[in-house]
Amino acid sequence: MTSSDLLVLNTLRCMGFTTLTRLAEASGFGESDVQSELIDLAVAGLVTYEPGDFGGWGITPTGKTVHAARVAAELDDAGTRAAVTDALDRFLPLNTELLDLCEAWQMRGGTLNDHGDPAHDARVLTLLTDLDRRAETVVAALSQALPRFARYRVRLTEALTRARAGEREYVTDDMASYHVIWFQLHEDLLVTLGIPR
Amino acid sequence: MRWIHPLTSGEPVEVIGGKAHGLVVLGRLGLPVPPGFVIGTDACRAYLRDGHLPEGLVEELSAALSDLPATRVSVRSGASVSMPGMMTTVLDLDTDPIGPLLNAVTEVFASWHTPRAKTYRDLHGISHDLGTAVSVQTMVHGDRDHHSGTGVAFTRDPTTGDPVPYGDVLFGRRGDAVVSGREHPRPLHDLADREPEVWAGLTHAMARVEAHYRDACYLEFTYESGRLWLLQVRPGRFTGAAAVRVATDLADDGVIAREESLLRVTEKDLQQVRTARIALPADVVARGLGACPGVATGSIATTSEAAVRMAADGPVILVRPETSPLDLRGIAAATGIVTARGGPASHAAVVARAMGKPAVVGTAGLIVAAGSIRAGDRTLTEGAVITIDGTSGDVVAGEAAVTTSLAEAHVHRLLEWADTVSGDTSERSDPQRLSAAHAVLIQRGGQEQA
Repeated sequence: MTSSDLLVLNTLRCMGFTTLTRLAEASGFGESDVQSELIDLAVAGLVTYEPGDFGGWGITPTGKTVHAARVAAELDDAGTRAAVTDALDRFLPLNTELLDLCEAWQMRGGTLNDHGDPAHDARVLTLLTDLDRRAETVVAALSQALPRFARYRVRLTEALTRARAGEREYVTDDMASYHVIWFQLHEDLLVTLGIPR
Repeated sequence: MRWIHPLTSGEPVEVIGGKAHGLVVLGRLGLPVPPGFVIGTDACRAYLRDGHLPEGLVEELSAALSDLPATRVSVRSGASVSMPGMMTTVLDLDTDPIGPLLNAVTEVFASWHTPRAKTYRDLHGISHDLGTAVSVQTMVHGDRDHHSGTGVAFTRDPTTGDPVPYGDVLFGRRGDAVVSGREHPRPLHDLADREPEVWAGLTHAMARVEAHYRDACYLEFTYESGRLWLLQVRPGRFTGAAAVRVATDLADDGVIAREESLLRVTEKDLQQVRTARIALPADVVARGLGACPGVATGSIATTSEAAVRMAADGPVILVRPETSPLDLRGIAAATGIVTARGGPASHAAVVARAMGKPAVVGTAGLIVAAGSIRAGDRTLTEGAVITIDGTSGDVVAGEAAVTTSLAEAHVHRLLEWADTVSGDTSERSDPQRLSAAHAVLIQRGGQEQA
C-alpha cells in the first residue's frame, strides 16, 4: 500500500494548489491527519503553503522531483507497469469522449449553454452516466494495479450522483466536479507512468 | 457496380455521404477534383451487420482502381450527416497490392462504431444505422515542391460574416499538417502574392460554390506543382453575428429572398450577436480556435506561478503550451487563457468555460518559452499586453478596441424585415421579433405544401 505521506504528496501533485479541506476530501483522510503529513512534507521542502487569493497548499519543484522518483519506485515494486500502461490506453479514448460531453454540456450552437433546455441536459447526463459505467472497469483495473487509484471511483461517483440530483456545477464547474476529478485522474496516470504532457 | 459509385454519381447524400456529395457538386461546377470514387453507405451497413466486407466489393474496388491514373490514394470517411473528426482518414496509401486499401476501408467502416462516435450521434440525435461512405481519391501532394501547399478557406469571414475570403494556408505541406497544429499557418491571402494562379483558381471556385449553395461555404484545397485541387466543400454553417451578416448580405444581393434570410437566422444567433468581440482591424499575432466567447486584455504570463504573482498588479492572460491541473490556479488568477495545443474539447477549454474566462486554444505554431511567446516571426515577452477574442480565436498585440455591436446595422435591417412579415411593430425583444416572423413563415410554408 502507498504510504500516507506519499498519498498526500501525490494528491497534491495531481490537484495543484488547494485547501486543506479539499485535500482531505480528495485523499480520503481526516483533516488533522492530512495537516500532520503536510507539515512533515513542508519541513522536507516538498510542499509549501502560500497565502493569498490563489494560494493554499502546493507542491514545490523539489517536491515534484521527489514525487516522480517515489511513484516510479512504487510502480516498480508493485510490478504492475504493464497493467497501468494498458489502463492508460483504455482511458485515453474515454477521455476524448468525456471532453466531447463536457463541451456539449457547456456550449450550444456557439454560445454558452444557458441550461434552458432540460432535455439536452438530461441527454448529456445520461451519456455521462453510460461513460462512467465504462470508465468503472478501467478504474477497477487500475485499483488492482495500484490500490490508491480506488479513491477516484469514490470521488467520481460522488460528483456524478450530485450532478444527477440537480447540482449542475458538479459536471464541470465545481473544483470537485466530475471533469476536475477526471482531469486529476488523467494527470495521475501520466505522472505515475512518467509520461510528460 | 453495386457498392461503388463514380464521383459524377447522381446518388443522394444518404448513399454517397456528405463529403462525396460535395465532390460531385464541385465536379459538376467544373472545378478540379482529384479522380476517385466512393464506396456507398450500404457497404458499410453490410460490413457492420456481417462483420466482413460485402461480397463483390473487392472485385469492384480492383476494377475502380484500375481506372485511376496513380496508385497512391487518400481514403476518407463521409457520413450523410456531419460528424467532424469522429472517424478515420488514411492518406497516401499504396493500392498495389490491394491489401492495405482493404484494411483502410475496413478501418473506416469500423470507426462508425467507436464509443466516441456513438456518443456524438446520441448527443446530436443522429441514427446509429446510417453508416459511413468512403471516398477513395488519387493522392495530391501539397508537399511535392516549392509550388505546392494546402489549406482551408471560408468564402467569407466565419466569425464576422465579412464578404472576404478567410482561412489558413501551409506552404509545402500536405493536408494532415493543417490539423496537426504543429505548423504555423499563414493567412489565406498570402497565397495571392505567392501563387497568383492558384489564388485566381481558388477565388473562382469560391464564387462558383457560393452561387451554387446560395450561402457562405467552406473549402479544403491542396495545390501540387502550381495546380489547384479541391478536396471538400460544404455550406459554412455560421452562427451569431456572422450568420446575421451573411443572411442579410445575400438578401441585399438578391441571392436569396428576405423571407429565406429570416429563416436562416436563429434566436440563438441574435443572442450571440451581443457577445463582446475585438473590433478590427487589429494587430493579429496569432490565431487559434475560440473556446470560450468574450474578449480579455492583460499581460502575458507564461507560467501559472507568474500569473498568480502578476495578477496582484493587474489583469493577466495565461499563455501555456497546454494545461495540467497544476495550472488550475493560474487559470483562476487570469482574465483570459491561450493554449498552443488542444481543441474546444480539451481540459483547458472545459476549465476556462467553467470559470467563465475568454479562451483561445489550439493556436497553431505558437511557441511558449520561459518568459516569452513566439508566433511566426513575432516574439512577445512576459508582461507584454495582448488581447484575445474567444469567439474568433484572434490573439492581438496590445489593448484592442472591443465591440458588442459587430453586426448592428444588419441586425436592425433584418428585424425590420421580420416586422414586415409578422405585421407586428410593438415593443418586443429582438428574439421575439424574429420568432414572430418565423411563426408566420413556417405557417405560410405549411399552407403552400398543403
